[in-house]
Amino acid sequence: MKKSPLNLPTIARVISQKMTIGNLTTAILTASALSIAAISSGCSQPEPIEQNAPEYGLVTTDDANEDIGTYVLPQDTAILDEPNADEIFYGKRLLNETKRLLPEHVGAQMNCNSCHISQGKIPLGDPYINSYNFYPRVMPRSGKEVDLTKRINGCFQRSMNGKPLKPESPEMLAMLAYMKWLSQNTPKEQKVDIQNTGKVDESLTPDPVRGEQIYKAQCATCHGDNGEGIKDSRGDIVFPPLWGDESFNIGAGMARTYKAAAFVKYNMPMGIQTKGLWGHGNVLSDQDAVDVAHFFTHQPRPDFAGKVNDWPNGKKPKDARY
Amino acid sequence: MKKWPLIIIIAAIIGLVVAFIIGKLLPNMRTSSNDIEVNITDPALIKQGEYIARTADCIACHTTLDGETYAGGLPMLTPLGAIYSTNITPDQETGIGNYSFADFKNAVKHGVRSDNKALYPAMPYPSYQLMPEEDLAAMYAFFMSDVTAVKQANLKSELPPIANWRWPLAYWQVLFDRKRDFVPETDDALLTRGQYLVEGPGHCGSCHTGRGIGFQEIALSNADSNKYLSGAIIDGWRAKSIRGEHRGLGTWTVAELNDFFKTGRTDTTAAFGAMAEVVEHSTQYMTDYDINAMSSYLKTLTPAPNKEATLPAKKDITTQKLLDGDYDSRGSILYAEYCQICHRVDGKGVARIFPALDGNSAVYSNNADSVLQITLSGGRMPETPHDRMAFTMPEFSNLSDADVAEVVNYVRNSWTNQAPEIDVNDVVKMRAFLAKKPKTSTDIAPDLSIDAQTKGAK
Repeated sequence: MKKSPLNLPTIARVISQKMTIGNLTTAILTASALSIAAISSGCSQPEPIEQNAPEYGLVTTDDANEDIGTYVLPQDTAILDEPNADEIFYGKRLLNETKRLLPEHVGAQMNCNSCHISQGKIPLGDPYINSYNFYPRVMPRSGKEVDLTKRINGCFQRSMNGKPLKPESPEMLAMLAYMKWLSQNTPKEQKVDIQNTGKVDESLTPDPVRGEQIYKAQCATCHGDNGEGIKDSRGDIVFPPLWGDESFNIGAGMARTYKAAAFVKYNMPMGIQTKGLWGHGNVLSDQDAVDVAHFFTHQPRPDFAGKVNDWPNGKKPKDARY
Repeated sequence: MKKWPLIIIIAAIIGLVVAFIIGKLLPNMRTSSNDIEVNITDPALIKQGEYIARTADCIACHTTLDGETYAGGLPMLTPLGAIYSTNITPDQETGIGNYSFADFKNAVKHGVRSDNKALYPAMPYPSYQLMPEEDLAAMYAFFMSDVTAVKQANLKSELPPIANWRWPLAYWQVLFDRKRDFVPETDDALLTRGQYLVEGPGHCGSCHTGRGIGFQEIALSNADSNKYLSGAIIDGWRAKSIRGEHRGLGTWTVAELNDFFKTGRTDTTAAFGAMAEVVEHSTQYMTDYDINAMSSYLKTLTPAPNKEATLPAKKDITTQKLLDGDYDSRGSILYAEYCQICHRVDGKGVARIFPALDGNSAVYSNNADSVLQITLSGGRMPETPHDRMAFTMPEFSNLSDADVAEVVNYVRNSWTNQAPEIDVNDVVKMRAFLAKKPKTSTDIAPDLSIDAQTKGAK
């Protein structure tokens, strides 16, 4: 029921036709003009901004407290400035798409960058930033000096459950070239002040039942209810299998509970944060990470024939699988 | 001669006073008294009202990110300053606790407050006016009996003097929100239900229909014009055309739309930005029948005027180049570094995890704002119980403006995509806009706790 104390509809109709439309239109036009003027002149357009690249301090390898400069993480577009740009790009592609490009050498459905996230450019995500200068070095697992070529081939045989590359092969040289470029000419006696892996409390006891619950809720969407991983529409691996014949073998660092937990805590899942290149990590507590890592590392996976040579000098870590 | 300015001034003042008085009286013409008695304690009515409030998505605007449900306070940015949504909890002091059913109905359907002042048309009463009185009664019962009262005073608008006068809004209502009834386009029950949900409570046109000089939607129904739902810009998003052209819903099936409304994703795409919130707060709760009704109705809409029904076929040469490492543009290097790991060399993404970029109508729309905004500020898919996890796109705000333009152009014109190019100034403008835009729930990371899986529509 309409309330009409006056004969308002008629009055309004007459008035709105006679004058108010004019007034209102003027008012609207004025307001719009004012706001357009405010937008276009009031806030003068800022200048385009440059890349805000991550920067980390440089320290000397013998005195980690000495601040001697800054490392600026390079963007791949800078590779074009290098005389061996083609080789560096090739190395980058091999690290990203190892299984597709080197099927003879990769037994698992894995790429180097399945673990070295975001092309080895992220602290705590197993970056390659310091790799070029870190090796050669005596490593506890092998008990002898290992150079970067040998270290990379270690990954091919363990994490990728495959065969080593020839040290002088163009593929190996290309991967080394990418890592050299990523070091950005940091002198040999210096290093970028970052951590390659995060910390988890290694005194925690894993709870595999809880680990399975966490796996199903937060990992299985991508890695599969049976750990089988997911391939893209072309058949290339997106999310690597976490167990089974196509996963990393027991010789891989990722097969060890606490190493895997440290990786998972800081890097997994991907695509769940709004910050960070992969939008990754930092949703699990230490206990969560240890539980879920214990669950998937202890599923069936390929054996590693070379395991008999590991830790020749003892000091085998408690989470070693053999 | 000198008298004329004085006469003009006096006439203007008189005109203003008359306009003011009439403006104060006009809302009376829109309101009506209470025609039906509402039993606000009837459980069935409350439950029905809860569902209708979901279809009308009241929560989207009347709740802030960390605020109490329905307590209002969400800013809507206008060029002259923000206005804020109000507290619609039944708190007697600060909410709508003292509203009679007539007050409630007059506000929702007619845009008139209980003090007879006009509401800003940010409230979609031009759409809600199609809702039948019985549905309003059910919503009233729900809000009065089932919503928790929250004492939270409404925020004053930031509009400057004169712009903050409410009486001119009465003229806006006379001009742009004339009384109208729902007119079904067909006899088909399903399509009629869909048309009603889209035009009425769903108020799809609030975002998806362009606006005229008076901020009015240029069409309120398909019968008005085929510009209805033909796409618009809102909050820095391109609310895409949801009509039948190629860049609209031309490439979508009813089944895909149903999947999208229910779960916020399909095998090739995902809701993001404002639409992610619509799915999260509203459509996921709708019945399969209602969802299918909306999808079926939307697919009857013809292409918008002057829009291509189909785009010419384009051969994908991008995938092979990326496979070969043939980086022939700066955009391709940036894509390979930042995007390829998730969206893949063929731009097809990963089903239900990472949306496809190739063939995704949100990517190759004529206006690039949505692609720009999500690239700069990231976002996440809606959380629904259908999928175990909701994924995000991280923000790439650390890239240079020039590189953002490069990679956006690359993505919009690679594979089979074809779209107009943007330049660096578009990125600059979007960044400046985003600096002022308040964060919403889909701007932040999902809740991954195991308990979170019980959230959302049952």
